[in-house]
Amino acid sequence: MKLIWKLLRHHISPLQLTGFFFANLFGMYIVLLSVQFYQDVKPAFSREDGVIRPEYMTVSKRITSMGSFGQEHTATFSDEEVAQLESQSFCKSVGRFTASQYKVSCYLGIQGTSSFGTEMFFESVPDAYIDCDQSRWNFNPEQPLIPIILPRTYLAIYNFGFAQSQSLPKISEHVATMVDMTVRLRGKGIEETLPAKVVGFSSRLNTILVPETFITWSNQRYAPDSDTAPSRLLLEVYNPTDDTIVSYLQDHSLELEDNRLDAGKATYFLKLTSGIVIAVGLLISILSFFVLMLSIYLLVQKNTEKLRNLLLIGYTPIQVALPYQLLTIGMNLTVLFFVLICVWISRMCYSQMIWAMFPQIPEGEFFFTVCVGVAISVLVSLLNVLAIRNKIINIWKHKD
Amino acid sequence: MNSIQLYQVLPNVFRQRTEIGGEIWRRDITFSKGQLYLVEAASGTGKSSLCSFLTGFRQDYQGSICFDGQDVSALNISQWSRLRRENLSLVWQELRLFPELTAYENVQIKNQLLHFKTRHEIEEWFSALGIADRMNTTVSRMSFGQQQRVALIRALVQPFDFLLCDEPVSHLDEANSNIIGEILMQEIRRQGAGAIFTSIGKHIDLPYNQTFAL
Repeated sequence: MKLIWKLLRHHISPLQLTGFFFANLFGMYIVLLSVQFYQDVKPAFSREDGVIRPEYMTVSKRITSMGSFGQEHTATFSDEEVAQLESQSFCKSVGRFTASQYKVSCYLGIQGTSSFGTEMFFESVPDAYIDCDQSRWNFNPEQPLIPIILPRTYLAIYNFGFAQSQSLPKISEHVATMVDMTVRLRGKGIEETLPAKVVGFSSRLNTILVPETFITWSNQRYAPDSDTAPSRLLLEVYNPTDDTIVSYLQDHSLELEDNRLDAGKATYFLKLTSGIVIAVGLLISILSFFVLMLSIYLLVQKNTEKLRNLLLIGYTPIQVALPYQLLTIGMNLTVLFFVLICVWISRMCYSQMIWAMFPQIPEGEFFFTVCVGVAISVLVSLLNVLAIRNKIINIWKHKD
Repeated sequence: MNSIQLYQVLPNVFRQRTEIGGEIWRRDITFSKGQLYLVEAASGTGKSSLCSFLTGFRQDYQGSICFDGQDVSALNISQWSRLRRENLSLVWQELRLFPELTAYENVQIKNQLLHFKTRHEIEEWFSALGIADRMNTTVSRMSFGQQQRVALIRALVQPFDFLLCDEPVSHLDEANSNIIGEILMQEIRRQGAGAIFTSIGKHIDLPYNQTFAL
């Protein structure tokens, strides 16, 4: 092998190989960085709520200026309106939001010390709509502890508004679930204080959710005579992209509360942008592949006579092709190695920014990018190996 | 491999010729293992073509060539490679050495295929042929006569049933021809092989069993 290499390395052009190395390096870098970036950022746009399933939509009546001044009789849904909605073809089921009909104050603290408090309210939806551990999502009046799901925006407001301006530490979702909460409930002459715990966060439900069992119990206890007609409904649909949903909602002056369409658009543009960048990277990689093939072909061409003589003294085409095949495989693996290092370093640079913007998203996998890189390298190496083999066979057959 | 048969073989370049003389083309001939053959002819009569046909380097002929009765046109690449490593050895008229390598490396590049000869045996041949001092010289810096001797040594570092020598001593003096004759005969006898020599007049003095005029 040593002698064969000594013989066949003649005419290797370091300039051509350097050209290939950098072209392939840039191409692969762009491809793999795009893949990695997409992996890292995708959850920010497409991450499911975690507590509310994706096919659910929140519907409320449109609030108009007239309505604000009390001239429109109600913003709540009657039983007939709910039944009409349930009868629509796009609708699978309808869940009602039930609001607390009494006064609620909430106090926060850590390790028993109360730090600040606020007036608030509770709402519930049927437990079946909540995708949460049912053992944590219930209420027992004998051992009262109120599980709460907060809107994720509350945490963002605290972290990027309040905490930033007051030089307070930012808190993660996990830390938030460890915060002690005390809830004071007042109504019908009764005033009681109950402990509460945050069990989850929702990006899609802009309300403070508690279990339905708690709302039923507390409304009966603190406001037994009040009207509990829902002002919002949770709609389970067969197909969220169905056009008839939008027309029905418009016809009945209803509106959707969440921003699922915006998230969908953002994901689409993320995919589009990543796709374009990956395509550019692949184009560069393909060009670099041709640079390498051209370089190897020229090398084989220049060494044709030597290769032919080796075949004539008993070497097989496999033995003769091996040095060039190892050269290309070595080049491809070296490029892959450096590209992965570059992607890793780049990722460290941008990841701080991403996690500052989207603290809730999980860290993306680097392993997937490694797999993509290995797959591309293996594919390219395989093509190189086959092309070189064919070239040597052609020499055998006097076609070169 | 015990025999090489030629059945009505004629190089394609001679197809247009109306008169084909000689004792090889368009004849049925058998070369047997253990026998020595001399093919004598003037230039341009197809001696090198015959060697190229027998080693599978060229297929531009009509008729058929068989090894032990099997038509060589049916052999695949790996079968030809094995034949060239283990059954057929050839000293090319144009030598086909590698000018970038030293004389010893030119021999070793073939010997390393099967490790058939030791370095000591190879060095003895270099000494016997008077080029021991040129072993580590690149072939490009050697005379054609010296290169011819290197090519001969290279042809002997493999097992063979037939040795084909295409004008092996065209550039050597009589003394060196005789030494080469001795070395070749020793190795041919040792391996029990057959040999076909071609010549344009100047040939090694060996006990040929049959001589063909081409």
